[in-house]
Amino acid sequence: MVGPFALFKWEALWRDWPVFAKGFGDTILASVLALVLALTLGIIFGVMGSAPWKIAKFINRIYVEVIQNTPLVIQVFFLFNGLPHLGIMMPVLSIGVVGVGVYHGAYIAEVVRAGIQSIHRGQIEAAFSQGFSFTEAMRYVILPQAARVVLPPLTNQAVSLVKNTSVLALIAGGDLMYYADSWSSDNLYYGPAYVTVAVLYLALCFPLASLARYLERRAGAAV
Amino acid sequence: MRKISMVVVLSLMMVIGFLTGCSSTTSAPKTGSGDVAPDVKTIQDRGVLNVGVKVDVPKFGYKDPQTNQIDGFEVDIAKAIAKEVLGDPNKVKLEAVTAKTRGPLLDSGDVDIVAATFTITDERKKSYNFSEPYYTDGVGLLVKKSAGFTGLKDMNGKTIGVAQSATSKKAIQAEADKLGIKVNFLEFSTYPEIKAALDSGRVDAFSVDGSILQGYLDDSTQILPDRFSPQDYGIASKKGNDGLAKIVNDTIVKLKSSGELDSLRQKWGLK
Repeated sequence: MVGPFALFKWEALWRDWPVFAKGFGDTILASVLALVLALTLGIIFGVMGSAPWKIAKFINRIYVEVIQNTPLVIQVFFLFNGLPHLGIMMPVLSIGVVGVGVYHGAYIAEVVRAGIQSIHRGQIEAAFSQGFSFTEAMRYVILPQAARVVLPPLTNQAVSLVKNTSVLALIAGGDLMYYADSWSSDNLYYGPAYVTVAVLYLALCFPLASLARYLERRAGAAV
Repeated sequence: MRKISMVVVLSLMMVIGFLTGCSSTTSAPKTGSGDVAPDVKTIQDRGVLNVGVKVDVPKFGYKDPQTNQIDGFEVDIAKAIAKEVLGDPNKVKLEAVTAKTRGPLLDSGDVDIVAATFTITDERKKSYNFSEPYYTDGVGLLVKKSAGFTGLKDMNGKTIGVAQSATSKKAIQAEADKLGIKVNFLEFSTYPEIKAALDSGRVDAFSVDGSILQGYLDDSTQILPDRFSPQDYGIASKKGNDGLAKIVNDTIVKLKSSGELDSLRQKWGLK
């Protein structure tokens, strides 16, 4: 009787650790770059969503609704197999960054919009009365106050983002999940492989989630 | 804080207990009656043999979308085994497996045996019992006609799409080393994904066992004449179910010596 967690399978994994290290590195790289993109998009579209101009709101809605209401897997699959038919061949890692970044950008846009709307209207009216433009009022008055409100949900988005980079495995993306699939399906030692991968994702996400809880507590204390 | 770490430790223990519990439930040998091995007895009591087969490999294991019936060379072999175990070739329950799911399904006991273009390797023999080979197939290359490849030798620097859990990567790599060329690999979990990647130009060739490639041939693609490192297909069963493994192996040996295996091969148009 050889179980899925037999000792020799763990030993094989230990011997092949560079495979997992490589995937772990690529997962971190894709996560960081995707997070930067998601934050940028999220702030721009979040501000647009609370702007006084109809057209800005409209663009915000299209972005958020289209992205939030279609599965990430399909979006990534489209970038991978759809775009080449239109003559655009993106490298796989950048598909991960763009796919996951754009996806979470939509969620972050909603978080940012809610954060901005939680700041009393009087604030922006006061800023306008002092001659601030909309962009200036956002930059100097509203966003700094909203930042404290949105930080905890933002960190939660970062946690989901890290986990969602695992969709890259579907398109041979070279991330942690891909290497785990590749390694374990070759020798069928899937037990240790997936447990190890879960632990590595936990090691990335748990500190982020703890940070979210800490920020939440601090924000709660300050209100 | 201490409370939290207690909770974490406890839940981890529960998870581990659950996982290992799953893997050991079926290992306890039951006392069999007569000379029937306990693992075979379990199947006889159940009255049906659960077999994992492919459903997307024409001629081997293929589910006809019109009739919803799974048919093929390997299905016929599975029926022959059911006849040995249960005395009735129709007492099989076919379950669709992929290269990725066949291992876990054997471990969990959901299927008793797997007859699904399963290549025998030394590494895999450590985890599963394999029968004698019943078919030998080489790894082939499916490419776009427009690419103008005549063989692997033209593919220096190209990318080849392979299936996870398939042994084609090693086979192609060995051949490429021999030719002194460099190729890259992308691995996908299902065959249709590799075909989509070939169509979109993500990969320059789709490489799995030649028999499987037949199912993906269309007007714009061709299978190159190259065949690499012949691979043996075997029927796999779970380690520990050794009584079953013996019957399976005996059946294959019998089919071979009686010439029945050859006639099955002819029936399905396999070389």
